[in-house]
Amino acid sequence: MGIWVGIFCVLVEFLLLFIVYFIARAHNPEAFLTGPDKLATLAGTVITLFLLTSGYCMVKAVNAIRCDEHKASLRWILGAILLGFGYPIVKYFEIRWNIANGIDGQAGIFYTVYYYLTLNHLVHVSWGLLGLIWIAVRTGLGGYSSQNHSGLEAAALYWHTTDIIWLAIFPFFYILR
Amino acid sequence: MTGLVIIGHTEKIWLVLIGLTFAGALLGETGHAGWPLTLTVFFLIAFKGGIVIDYYMEMRSANTRIRNILRMFVALISLLVIVSHGWGEVIRRLTTIN
Repeated sequence: MGIWVGIFCVLVEFLLLFIVYFIARAHNPEAFLTGPDKLATLAGTVITLFLLTSGYCMVKAVNAIRCDEHKASLRWILGAILLGFGYPIVKYFEIRWNIANGIDGQAGIFYTVYYYLTLNHLVHVSWGLLGLIWIAVRTGLGGYSSQNHSGLEAAALYWHTTDIIWLAIFPFFYILR
Repeated sequence: MTGLVIIGHTEKIWLVLIGLTFAGALLGETGHAGWPLTLTVFFLIAFKGGIVIDYYMEMRSANTRIRNILRMFVALISLLVIVSHGWGEVIRRLTTIN
């Protein structure tokens, strides 16, 4: 149950950040109307695909450990980690592309909010990745079983929470006008 | 039967999420500001968020209070999309410091 305290803290934090987004949007409608045009929709789409597929791997990992299939569970967790690392890699190239096109944190209110929210989300994904690495080690050492796998489930729940938040961030910055 | 690919429930859920992501990306490239785009984004956030909560996080069979908090979070942020589009001026007035 302890993981829920952390998850609800993250949800409250991002709810406040989303409120900041909507207030900034209400005060600067022009900036938020044209802002998404300069961002790379492809980068946002690929990140979404990585996160959703990584989340799928974690669903399979939890299902596998429930059947005491340790090796299968470990393979799914490693798949989730591999796909999860796609996010910071894509983000790195996206930011490089942004800066080459003159989109830095001072390019306007839309981009300031964009950097603040997306980089904050990246930090939370990094915690999630560290958690996944930890449960991969534990699974590899036989630390979980069909009877005792609450740690694995907790890491999966946190990982899915970062999915939910990204599913709002993606349309806010790449689709909505 | 060898070579038979079985698409289970989890795979179907994943495919729906991926399909909606591509639809959203297409909209991002071609969509214009207005109520149709706003309502589509509302639907994308609410529906995809609901799927992750119910199926990835398995909240359909979990503690009702926890499930409701997660659903409320998704409902609130997706509703803010509509409020922001329809009542942006009201938000601006309420959040202006004189």
